[in-house]
Amino acid sequence: MKNFIEVTELKKVFGNGEDEVHAFGPATININSGEFVSVLGPSGCGKSTLMLMVAGLLDSTSGKVEFENKVVNGPKTDIGIMFQDNTLVPWRTVRGNIELQLELRGLNLKDYQEKINNILKSVNLDDFADRFPNELSGGMQQRAAFCQAMIHDPKIILLDEPLGKLDAMTREKIRADFQKLWMVKKPTVIFVTHSIEEAVQLSNRVILITPRPGKIDREIKIDLPYPRDLQIKRSAKFTEYVNSIQEVFHKYGVI
Amino acid sequence: MKKFIKWIASGWMLILFFVGFFLFWEYSIPLFDIPRYILPSPSEIVLKGSADLDKLVYYTGVTALETVLGYIIALILGVGFGIAISFSSILRRTLYPFFVSIEMTPKIAFAPLFISWFGFGLMPKVIIVVLVCFFPIVLNAILAFNSLSNELTLFYQSTGASRLKTFFSIRLPAALPQCFVGFKYAAINATVGATIAEFIGSDKGLGFYISIVTGNMRPDLAFAGIFFLTVLGLTIFGFVTMMEKILIPWHISMKRINR
Repeated sequence: MKNFIEVTELKKVFGNGEDEVHAFGPATININSGEFVSVLGPSGCGKSTLMLMVAGLLDSTSGKVEFENKVVNGPKTDIGIMFQDNTLVPWRTVRGNIELQLELRGLNLKDYQEKINNILKSVNLDDFADRFPNELSGGMQQRAAFCQAMIHDPKIILLDEPLGKLDAMTREKIRADFQKLWMVKKPTVIFVTHSIEEAVQLSNRVILITPRPGKIDREIKIDLPYPRDLQIKRSAKFTEYVNSIQEVFHKYGVI
Repeated sequence: MKKFIKWIASGWMLILFFVGFFLFWEYSIPLFDIPRYILPSPSEIVLKGSADLDKLVYYTGVTALETVLGYIIALILGVGFGIAISFSSILRRTLYPFFVSIEMTPKIAFAPLFISWFGFGLMPKVIIVVLVCFFPIVLNAILAFNSLSNELTLFYQSTGASRLKTFFSIRLPAALPQCFVGFKYAAINATVGATIAEFIGSDKGLGFYISIVTGNMRPDLAFAGIFFLTVLGLTIFGFVTMMEKILIPWHISMKRINR
């Protein structure tokens, strides 16, 4: 059987002629259903470009992306997506923003009210359902955005440095929330990040991307049990993973 | 009541300033021996103005009609063209630079031409108001409809929603704050356009009134006319600001918190 997501010789070049910028690839990646995969690399290596191409939100220059044997050639709609700058709109409350996802998809809001309550509860936002995004802290906004990205039970979740702008403590907390939700619903996650620790803590597999033009240096399977709590993060094996990844990027002069 | 007290409490400095300003004006006229035909005192303006009240009210109505009619037409055309230009790359490369270059022309310079083409009636004044209001509205609307964040664009694309649905759920509400920048700027300019149009050629309206009484050496009546123009301008601007508060309350509260 083929893999859930197959990325074959995918490449992106922006501009043409003298202004040409080789942003990413070529790269070949296979992802299984329900897998949590981190794409780890220095800034500007094209990892976000890769994510957008996988989602069909950006055309590739060459190569192809397949989901369950079907070639992607337009925006994929059975996905949930989350960025560093959240996609909450300021004129809707937290609940309204989650409903926006459903409305745009033509789903019946009534069927989802209980689900909205549950997902908000799972990230400790149940008291803030009727608040507007600008009344929330950055961390709470990202949690609300996560609910917005998850509410329609997408098979694939794409996270583009969703914790990039948050402070260390808040990141820690939200990572745990993400992990909890992922373990329950088991969507396939592609997580773009430049935090080594974050990648090791959350993923089944970490894909290391070289500096631009981003190519795959290697893939590292993270063989640690879930949930990966503080205790696991203190374990020798965890540190070993982090160190080995650090060495790779050190070799490239990134760190 | 509580609100009123709060308003007084926060605005007392401004009120004091206005009271002081008018007192200074009133008493510096006898003090510095300024002749009445140069600058009348506020009390004289009120006294002489109220004798001419019927005319002033009627002319305010005339000018208001020109202004509001022109403003509304400019609003419809401005937003319409703004959306069309934002969504069409052909229009963006043709009409948009054309509008930007015309924006540099002082529109009011066209006023004598319009009067000579269309006569002394309502129409040339409305056209001049439209001309004055249209450009700030259309240019801000183009900016508004083009400034949706990359993230939100990708988000709605990932939902597979139709263009129409996306327009009303995301694009339009996201554009409203910037649109209102243009609406407010145009509201300030609308009365200017109507007044100057009336200066150039008309037989009624506040602009007409002010130019006639000034010619008759009656600055007191000219000030009364200016007062009514100010009230008209404030009313239109106040209405637009009120609409902003009603239509995009989230934007107002956002500003308050960020301050």
